[in-house]
Amino acid sequence: MSVIFRLEAPYRGEYNLHRLTFGGSGAAAVAIVAGLHGNEVNGIQSLNLVAQMLRVMRPKRPVHLLPCVNTIGAEEARKRWPFDDRDINEAFPGDHEGAAVERIAAAVMDATEADLCIDVHSGSTAIREHPHARVPLSGPELEHARAMRLPVVWRRAGGRYEGGLVGAWRGAGREALQVRGGRGLALDMDDATTLARGLVRLLAHLGIIGPQEPGVTVVDTERVQDYRSMSGGFFVPEVHTGERVVAGKLLGMVRSPLGGDPIEDIRAARAGVVLAARVYPMVHAQELVVRVAEDPS
Amino acid sequence: MSERVEEICVIELPTGESVGVHRRRFVGGPGPHVAIVAGVRGDTPEGTRVAHAVGAQLRANHDRLAGTVDVYPCVNPLAAHHGARSWPAFDLDLNRRFPGRADGHAPDRVAHALIGALRGAEQVIELRGAHPAFREETQAHVRHDQPLALERAMRANVRVVWRRADDNEGTGTLASEVPGLLCLEGGVGNRLTDGVGLELCDGVLNLLVVLGVLPEDGLPFHWAAIQRPIVATDADVVRVRATRGGLFLPYGKMWAETNQGDSLGEVVDPISGDTREIVVAPVAGRVLALREQPVVYPGSLVARIVAGA
Repeated sequence: MSVIFRLEAPYRGEYNLHRLTFGGSGAAAVAIVAGLHGNEVNGIQSLNLVAQMLRVMRPKRPVHLLPCVNTIGAEEARKRWPFDDRDINEAFPGDHEGAAVERIAAAVMDATEADLCIDVHSGSTAIREHPHARVPLSGPELEHARAMRLPVVWRRAGGRYEGGLVGAWRGAGREALQVRGGRGLALDMDDATTLARGLVRLLAHLGIIGPQEPGVTVVDTERVQDYRSMSGGFFVPEVHTGERVVAGKLLGMVRSPLGGDPIEDIRAARAGVVLAARVYPMVHAQELVVRVAEDPS
Repeated sequence: MSERVEEICVIELPTGESVGVHRRRFVGGPGPHVAIVAGVRGDTPEGTRVAHAVGAQLRANHDRLAGTVDVYPCVNPLAAHHGARSWPAFDLDLNRRFPGRADGHAPDRVAHALIGALRGAEQVIELRGAHPAFREETQAHVRHDQPLALERAMRANVRVVWRRADDNEGTGTLASEVPGLLCLEGGVGNRLTDGVGLELCDGVLNLLVVLGVLPEDGLPFHWAAIQRPIVATDADVVRVRATRGGLFLPYGKMWAETNQGDSLGEVVDPISGDTREIVVAPVAGRVLALREQPVVYPGSLVARIVAGA
């Protein structure tokens, strides 16, 4: 592990950006980043699992891992950079002479020079997400995502990645995609392990390491339906992430938080797999409560 | 003339309670429609103070008012309740949610309702406070391609009119959705600053005279007292950054004339107090903004200078 960027951090010495590199010399084949958001610990865990596997697998080409970019945010259980509450993921492509988050962003860009770049995230603190890859409708990133064999591949129309690290990577001409799983502020071991296995499968697919155990993608789709609460209340889920649902299935109920009177039942419009489910029950009107990745028609 | 309080949007809370977003509507004789918006972020009480001071003058001149003035004292009441910049629970900056969505969550619905409510206004004036880490001189921001807004901003009793490029305002801001918007700010974030509220209030009242809403003799001051601002472009506003981390101790004073190479402050080691860096002005001009929150990283903004002013 090496420190590839340092920044004076008043009262606490330095901020250090760490990178682990596995494999031989030459240009890196893959760079994987987690922890841009300090409270998304599933990404950190998934990269640590990947590191454990790579230590014994002898990659044929270099693989860079940045397990936790926002270390100070992680220490304080905060999504954003604590000093000025800025989101590092909104500071890309960064600026070597700019504010702290912009310098960190620029350093991440420099440290991830590779053929393929992957950004690992979790859901928000209120939403748990089933492990999945978010990719364009076509192109090499879609093939990479399919090679991971994560439970869900979400193909999304262009323009959805204009900002953030993935957008900056693509702007720099690199192949890039995002994978997500679990929720913020909590370690969901199953999700972190699933993400790690998917990342290792991709490395095997690229010929960087030997063959890996197969995985199963349940849904590969463009059709993802958000279900939102019509009004504020207390959301009681009836499904969990990864659960297969049929049309009409009760996804959850919105109840009065004071007395439990029924307000709304939310049912699936079509069949699919629960891609995200709310874990913090207090909901405002029109907040996301369940997301279903629908079976392709 | 009539004065009434109207609810433009209701924020439903999970507990079943609700919070309204309100405007005070002052209706006089025939005339233009002007909207004054404060509190898009919850850490800008200066704007709310100015909105109420303007409202008091509109009430005092109720029989001489021409047109309609909508005063929105605080469009982000939940954040203001905490003195927080962002919308609580969602942790979203309302000033990145415009134009909003009718079928979205609460911040998006408020953004959408506000854009709808502002439609048809001949002039929208946004009252902002500074970022909490800074003290700012009074200033007006207008888009560079809005000559009428620039002309009006010259009468807004501020030190500087900053003509900003579109992409400098960021996406999703109120200013990006209302091209002719005139944004006034100054003081210190989350604080009321002596003198600033009065300057901005006088500026808004003078604008209402310029727009024909108030008669000139309705001003509580003589029009000749209005400041003549400097016009600056993005290129004229020079950002000065620390190159070392530590505590920034400012030397300079607001709006002080500064020569190139003059010391603006020093960055000291927070433990030993030893000087790590003397921050100097890269250009001659006047100090538009100065850091109040002393902890800095390398690259942190410590001052803005209007070059050549």
